Amino acid sequence: MDNPFKGEHLLPGHLGQFFTILAFGSSLFAAISYYFATTNPGDTSWKRLGRIGIYVNAISVVGIGACLYYIIINHLFEYYYAWEHSSRALPTHYIISSFWDGQEGSFWLWNFWQAVLSCVLVRKAKSWESPVMAVIALSQAILATMLIGVEILGGRIGTSPFILLREAIDLKQSAPIFATNPALYHNYLTYIKDGNGMNPLLQNYWMVIHPPTLFLGFASMVVPFAYAIAGLWTKRYTEWIKPALSYSLFAMMVLGTGIIMGAFWAYESLSFGGFWAWDPVENASIIPWLVLVGAVHVMIVYKNTKHSYITATILTLTSFILVLYASFLTRSGILGETSVHSFVDAGIFWHLVVDVVVFLILTIVLLAIRWKELPRTTKDEETYSREFWMFVGSIFLCLSCFHLVVVSSIPVWNAIFGTKLAPPSDPVKHYNIVQASFAVVITLLTGFTQFLKYKKTDNVKFFISTLVYLVVAALITLPVIYLTGANKLQFVFILIMVGAIYSVLANGKVLIDAFKGKFKLAGSAVAHIGFGLIMVGALISAGTSKVISENTTGQDFGADFVKVKNNPRENIILYKNTPVVMGKYTVTYIGDSIAVPNHYFKVNYKVVDAAGKVTEEFLLKPNAQANAKMGLISSPDTKHYLFSDLYTHVNMSNAIAVGEGTEAAGHDEADDDKKYDAPIPYEVAVGDTIRFRDGYVVLKSIGKVDKVQDIALTDKDVAISAKLQVNANGKTYDAEPIYMIRSNNAFDFARKVEDAGLKLRFTKVLPQKGKVEITLYQQPESAKKWIVMRAIQFPDINFLWSGTIIMVIGILLSIFRRNKELKTV
Amino acid sequence: MKKSSIFGLVVIAIAIAVIISVYSNSSTYGSFKDAANTNSELHVVGHLNKDKKLVYDATKDANYFSFYMKDNNGEECKVVFTGSKPQDFERSEQIVLTGKMEGNEFHAMHILMKCPSKYTKDQVEITEAKAKQASI
Repeated sequence: MDNPFKGEHLLPGHLGQFFTILAFGSSLFAAISYYFATTNPGDTSWKRLGRIGIYVNAISVVGIGACLYYIIINHLFEYYYAWEHSSRALPTHYIISSFWDGQEGSFWLWNFWQAVLSCVLVRKAKSWESPVMAVIALSQAILATMLIGVEILGGRIGTSPFILLREAIDLKQSAPIFATNPALYHNYLTYIKDGNGMNPLLQNYWMVIHPPTLFLGFASMVVPFAYAIAGLWTKRYTEWIKPALSYSLFAMMVLGTGIIMGAFWAYESLSFGGFWAWDPVENASIIPWLVLVGAVHVMIVYKNTKHSYITATILTLTSFILVLYASFLTRSGILGETSVHSFVDAGIFWHLVVDVVVFLILTIVLLAIRWKELPRTTKDEETYSREFWMFVGSIFLCLSCFHLVVVSSIPVWNAIFGTKLAPPSDPVKHYNIVQASFAVVITLLTGFTQFLKYKKTDNVKFFISTLVYLVVAALITLPVIYLTGANKLQFVFILIMVGAIYSVLANGKVLIDAFKGKFKLAGSAVAHIGFGLIMVGALISAGTSKVISENTTGQDFGADFVKVKNNPRENIILYKNTPVVMGKYTVTYIGDSIAVPNHYFKVNYKVVDAAGKVTEEFLLKPNAQANAKMGLISSPDTKHYLFSDLYTHVNMSNAIAVGEGTEAAGHDEADDDKKYDAPIPYEVAVGDTIRFRDGYVVLKSIGKVDKVQDIALTDKDVAISAKLQVNANGKTYDAEPIYMIRSNNAFDFARKVEDAGLKLRFTKVLPQKGKVEITLYQQPESAKKWIVMRAIQFPDINFLWSGTIIMVIGILLSIFRRNKELKTV
Repeated sequence: MKKSSIFGLVVIAIAIAVIISVYSNSSTYGSFKDAANTNSELHVVGHLNKDKKLVYDATKDANYFSFYMKDNNGEECKVVFTGSKPQDFERSEQIVLTGKMEGNEFHAMHILMKCPSKYTKDQVEITEAKAKQASI
């Protein structure tokens, strides 16, 4: 091929582009084949064609990944994606995550997991294969269009990850020299030495595992949807629920894990000081999950009682539509100024809308056509039955989701109705209160429903056991909230605490019964206990987290300023080596350690008891990267205890400069003096003390020296040194400035004690007084190294993390149970 | 009446309550002028006046930050924020403030800024080629 541009590697891109088209073509082909396989069940050749389509699609999706990986790992910056998301300095494991750093890469990830699930389903779905695969292949085909990047009718469909840098960006505009000199332009690659690199915030091992987990969760939600559609389509109304249940539980487990991983990542390495901020992007991931959890419960209700079929179907269908809606919210750029996550409209706004609308119409039309035939029960559910309250709980989950959708979609309402609403001015408080009300109902339901049986329960027995447990839960709650300080919270949060503890107790009883023989109940009991613990952990840690770095020393900016209900003064300045007492800790910024590109601030925490003895001491190293492209990017460090965490985050410092490490060495002497306050000469004799702001200096002795650095001394030279001991902030340092006379000229060699911010000169000898003159240069307070930090204590956050693990184990047990049932029936 | 119908009514009632609570809790976008005329909290969108001084001196008070912002109508106002200066504030392209007027100053509870970072803006960094530069 004749390519005027030197040094470009076009083959991987062409191959990759071929695979994107093939992935789209094969999935569309599979969808059509499986459609006809469903409508002509007698003809097995359609099914065979469909399978070929699925396998070709899987191969081409892997092919896209392989080409993209090759491009990124070999730093082929002629490709926009590699240039935009990676750089040479990026270590290998982060190169993997730069893969899904961009829009296209995350779509690929979604595509990949759907391809994997397709291959599993082709083997496992048996009689459901054709209709289920038709739906999944359709979803796969629509996702594939996001990656093809082909121009049709003047508009571009999707964005290909294989677009070239010179096609994506007008290089001639960026660098006018290219416009005037075509020879240079054809050689442009030699000027592109490195890629943009990845946002330092994302250079974290969570970025390697969080997105794949989250997208496996999103991808697996298509399976229950496909089963529900297949059930309606082939009129096997009631049969789809049983096989779909395991997949729903799987999606619920994986997506739940992915969401909590995101929370953990935010808590551990981002700087917003918490695990959940109700950002629209976070909400977008939890919206489909809530409805899915509701759907799973109603599916179980249907399986056991034949009640609530229509609700089970609608919730299952809705959960997948919400996945697509969430993807529209986060990727279309509509959130604009309501989210800290900066998402720009990448030109796929309408594409995403179409994605949602296609599946929404499919759902509505199919439901409308089959509506009259759907199985219903005429009999009302018993009030004292498990199914009724499970149903109520599921609906409350959906209401909680409904609230999240209504608030997160405020920009969407503005776009549709032309209104100018803004999100609540204190969104966290708003979400917390409203969501807490739903959480109270849901935790109580997960508790008392355990005492009910399907169909009908003896209500006297039920009331007795319910009440006994409720009283016990309330009794446990009292000491818990008083010990943790949660009693000062709003009443609704205390109710959640009662509900969560109640749920843990009631499910604990079920778990004990499970060990006595009813083992199949263990899964749900364990999952509910996990959920209860998540609530307890979230409530205590978020509700009683305490900023221990509250600043009480700040300069007064006038009474007006103090009066205002304003942010608490959460930041505190720490000068190097000057201890500050915060709560029970004595905190000192003791220095820095630099491992390029990270700059670690060493912050020492000490707990000193009444007798002045140090009972505990540890070092936290919050770090910052002075990134030339993004400025200072800092991430926190956390001390983990069993029952609380201490989070420390540095906002700002004068010890770090952008472009660190390139600083020119060798300052001018006069310049150096400018960094200090005006020098003060002291006349002192041996044994005298000079006081300064942070301590004192003692003149220990004066002695003759034979050698001054590199200068060879002759007999005619005289050099004497002053041995000084500097005491600053409880530490001692030695300094030995030198005074020298050479050929009747006096010189002196200053000594610095950086930690104390001092420069000491031996400036005169006063033999008649028997004294010497020591000149002291002291750094002004502001020139000393400092950090501005924020420290927050999060109590009992480990309940949240361990609750998650327990919940995942519980769901896993349930999956095993449902799979076993599937085989035995 | 069937129990499911009663429950359905309860659900609808809660849904309406949710919408009303969101609507009443929702704030509005406005200008500094609007903020001066109201006591409630507002969202003000605008941009930093880079000619005027940003005040943040951690050595004096690590929790006082003030700057001048022009709202979308071009009106300028001094803004005070209790907290440390957000990173890269000088480079911000657009600022969204949440807060209210106190006298002549706008007291922000929350600042959200959009930065034209290298990670979102397409700007190729062209470096001088040197003789020893190997081609890729």
